[in-house]
Amino acid sequence: MAVDTTKNPIPFEMAQIPGPEMAKAYPVKVIGAIIKKAKRPLLVVGAELFDDPIMFDKAIEIAKAKNMTIAATAHTIKGFIERGYTTNVYQIGLHPLTNYLRFKDWKGLDGQGHYDVVIFMGIFYKFANAMFSALKHFNRDIKRVSIDRYYHVNADMTFGNLAFDSAGYHEAIDELIAILKK
Amino acid sequence: MAKLEGSFTVEDMKNVQINIGAVVKEEEEWDQPMGPFPKPQIATLRDWDFKILNRYRIFYAPADDTCTLCTYGPCDLTGNKRGACGINMEGTCGKIVLVACLMGTCAHTAHGIHLYHWVMDRFGDMKFDMGTEILYDAPIYQTVMGKKPRMLKDFGEGLTYIEEQVANLLAATHTGQEGSYMDFESKALHAGMLDCLGMEICDMLQVVAYDMPRGDPNAPLVEIGMGTLDQNKAVLIAYGHNLAAGAEAMVYIENNKLWDKVDIGGVCCTAHDLTRITEAGNPSILPQNLGPKAKVAGAIGWWRKMVRAGIMDVVMVDEQCVWCDTLKDCEERKIPVIATTDKIMYGLKDRTNDPVDAIVDDLVNFRVPGVVILDPMKASEVGVKTAIAVKPKRAEIKAKSVLTGDEFKKLVSSCTKCNECAFVCPPHIRISNLMEEAAKGNLEPFSSTYEVCVGCGRCEQVCRQEIPILKMYEYANREYIKNQKFKMRAGRGPAKDTEIRTVGAPLVLGTIPGVIALVGCSNYPDGTKDAYDIAKEFVDRGYIVVTSGCMAMDMSLYTNEEGKTIWEQYPGGFDGRNICNVGSCVANSHIGGAAIKVATIFAHRNHRANWDDIADYILSKVGACGIAWGAYSQKAASIATGCNRLGIPVVVQPHSVIYRRAFLGRADVPEDWVVIDARDGSKLRVEPAPEHMLYVAETKEEAMLMMAKLCFRPSDNSMGRMIKLTHYCDISMKYFGKLPDDWPVYVRHASELPLAWKDQMMKELEEKYGWKIDWKAKKIVEGPIRPADVSFDPTNIERKIRVRK
Repeated sequence: MAVDTTKNPIPFEMAQIPGPEMAKAYPVKVIGAIIKKAKRPLLVVGAELFDDPIMFDKAIEIAKAKNMTIAATAHTIKGFIERGYTTNVYQIGLHPLTNYLRFKDWKGLDGQGHYDVVIFMGIFYKFANAMFSALKHFNRDIKRVSIDRYYHVNADMTFGNLAFDSAGYHEAIDELIAILKK
Repeated sequence: MAKLEGSFTVEDMKNVQINIGAVVKEEEEWDQPMGPFPKPQIATLRDWDFKILNRYRIFYAPADDTCTLCTYGPCDLTGNKRGACGINMEGTCGKIVLVACLMGTCAHTAHGIHLYHWVMDRFGDMKFDMGTEILYDAPIYQTVMGKKPRMLKDFGEGLTYIEEQVANLLAATHTGQEGSYMDFESKALHAGMLDCLGMEICDMLQVVAYDMPRGDPNAPLVEIGMGTLDQNKAVLIAYGHNLAAGAEAMVYIENNKLWDKVDIGGVCCTAHDLTRITEAGNPSILPQNLGPKAKVAGAIGWWRKMVRAGIMDVVMVDEQCVWCDTLKDCEERKIPVIATTDKIMYGLKDRTNDPVDAIVDDLVNFRVPGVVILDPMKASEVGVKTAIAVKPKRAEIKAKSVLTGDEFKKLVSSCTKCNECAFVCPPHIRISNLMEEAAKGNLEPFSSTYEVCVGCGRCEQVCRQEIPILKMYEYANREYIKNQKFKMRAGRGPAKDTEIRTVGAPLVLGTIPGVIALVGCSNYPDGTKDAYDIAKEFVDRGYIVVTSGCMAMDMSLYTNEEGKTIWEQYPGGFDGRNICNVGSCVANSHIGGAAIKVATIFAHRNHRANWDDIADYILSKVGACGIAWGAYSQKAASIATGCNRLGIPVVVQPHSVIYRRAFLGRADVPEDWVVIDARDGSKLRVEPAPEHMLYVAETKEEAMLMMAKLCFRPSDNSMGRMIKLTHYCDISMKYFGKLPDDWPVYVRHASELPLAWKDQMMKELEEKYGWKIDWKAKKIVEGPIRPADVSFDPTNIERKIRVRK
């Protein structure tokens, strides 16, 4: 039975209650369908991947399944280089990346155009939350999706909190990969 | 000095009253003419601000979606909607940023105002004398005010100026006033500049009055750490930022020969300033070389840990960064509290006019948990006498307040692993994992996360089992606490003029790769060791590393393989491969001051009332970058914003997104990077240097890479650019495993390529980027944004053009 990713939809930092518009927690199949349907999605991964290195491999699988660009924030690029995955992955700080994302004239990391869906994973919670907030207020053309182990209140779509259920989280990501591969 | 004299007679006049408010004498000794902007008003430097803001785009990440500041609210501003008053989300964010910066500015300035009056009362007016090696003695004051203070009393004019500006700025935040986010940010930059001024005044007052080191690279090494406080003596803690009462306690102990009975420790910046007292050796009414007798108990992040460790008998609080539950924490442990300024009074009774012995009797017998005493001398006497008298009475309480092994085990077993604590822990420590390991007898996770814990105590508040988690940390780390004994170099104050003369050319040409300033508080995302690691990375690379405040304290808690702290590993000069501690928060002003002195001493720029010209010089030519890796306070916000108005970029830690605003450049927009060549007024596209003005990094590795990058300046000569590029690439290789993607952007000439990768890079420039390379001569023929030009004189200000084309 698939893991229930809609459980425990409270902000991982409890006091992060922004206002009337708050994210909804979705099952993996819905989030998978949205990513699959995206025309130009961007997978944004952060340095928390180093805490659970198997997530590097899963990120690569997700990117390959959808032929999706990876934005490796902080020093995360090192994990991809160590795995020999160097194509279609770009090193960029989350802050300048989000700054670019809010401008509609930006041409993307590869110069091929802007993105319609951004998917965050493995990023320090407060930082990711704030960057989702920036996009929520200043570029509403981009769909904000979190596939992190936290409920992300400023995303459009997110998982509930799976921070204390590592096996369940891995299972959810594997299910997502399977959906994208179909 | 020109003497202005005059006389007048009043003849045949009766019942005439003449009031003379002030006699204004124009200072003639200064060889600089008055600059264009003495005492700038809100709109005076707006053009300069807009130059910064148009290049470094204002980036907001709202912390909430609503505005609740007036009775029309709450207004939902989601998606940049407008509220009932007409303000949108951008404007609201700008307003909040301005308010935060004003809080910081007011905290520093009010500290200065208190010291100003106290110094006049205690010491009388004194000559403002920074010694023979610092003739450019108040660079920020001179740049803002256009005046040279001669006596301490002269600084009063600066404080009055700030007060007026702050009132006007705060007025602009009222509903129905300013609505433009750009103007809010210009005002925030103005507040940041005022903050620089307030800090400088504050530190100059105390440096002179308390005879602190004046740019001494060999300022003494003082003791730091909880373990340095002698538990055989009564321990008096001075907590906050204002040294007045703590210093008097030291004088009282010295004069009454009580050092064998009392130990004094400082927490937060008061600690810095206590350890700086009377070290310069000038005649003073205070005892000589008093500073090293005080200990630095620790930075702000250690407060709740040390109060639980039971290492103190009395606490004197002064102002700023004193946690609001200090009285509660102390009352629970029967530690008497003395509030010594009117900024923090905790609802306690004001006993300023009561006899000392009566107050001591009430505190020692725990009839009251604390008192307010606004006279620093009386507060100090009460503090010392109370500490001595209460110590024996507290011995039993102290023993009971720490956990026993059995109690610890019982608490461990009571954890239900609900993980509520993890949901509120700022650095996301998985406390339930700590408990799980402790149940197996493994306390290592409690030890390894001790420095990561920021001591906020939120975990204890949400724990359903009411487990005193910080107290458990104290038990698990009791041996470490006892042995937390290190050395820190006392705050040395400003850079000396001679030091600036030595480093001026290498800094502007880039052969010293930059000034790295580690400032601010203790809210680190991943522990205090980051402060040491970042400092060491840059001092090892030959940067000028300066530090202050809590970061200076926290980096002192680590040693190399030889057991040496960072202060014992490197000299304390303002020079490459040196590390200098300028002092407390308010001494941060000396970092901006040093940048101004590079412009005025090395480049002979007139800084008098000439802020934008100096800031433009720094932005274009002085490779400097601040980092506030533990920034938490509004003061940190105003300090960073002040640096930004002075053209100095700042990197902050990921929690800093709560400040809401950043200034980020767009390297992909060429027109943002066009500057004027002051030689002939021509315009030229340059590389994005520095690329950002206020930047949040996710990890220390990213922070270090960005800091190296933000030291690039358009004026770097080829040797300097090569050195900077080498460090940028080397840090990237070390922590990222690859060269940075944008290294070609910073190459103007083949000689600027780092030697280690030169051939590989030239090949890549040709094959990947289409540059034309002359392989025989090993030259770049075509490709860079612009050629290297040693006489290029970049500016962003039209009036700096010397000859128009």
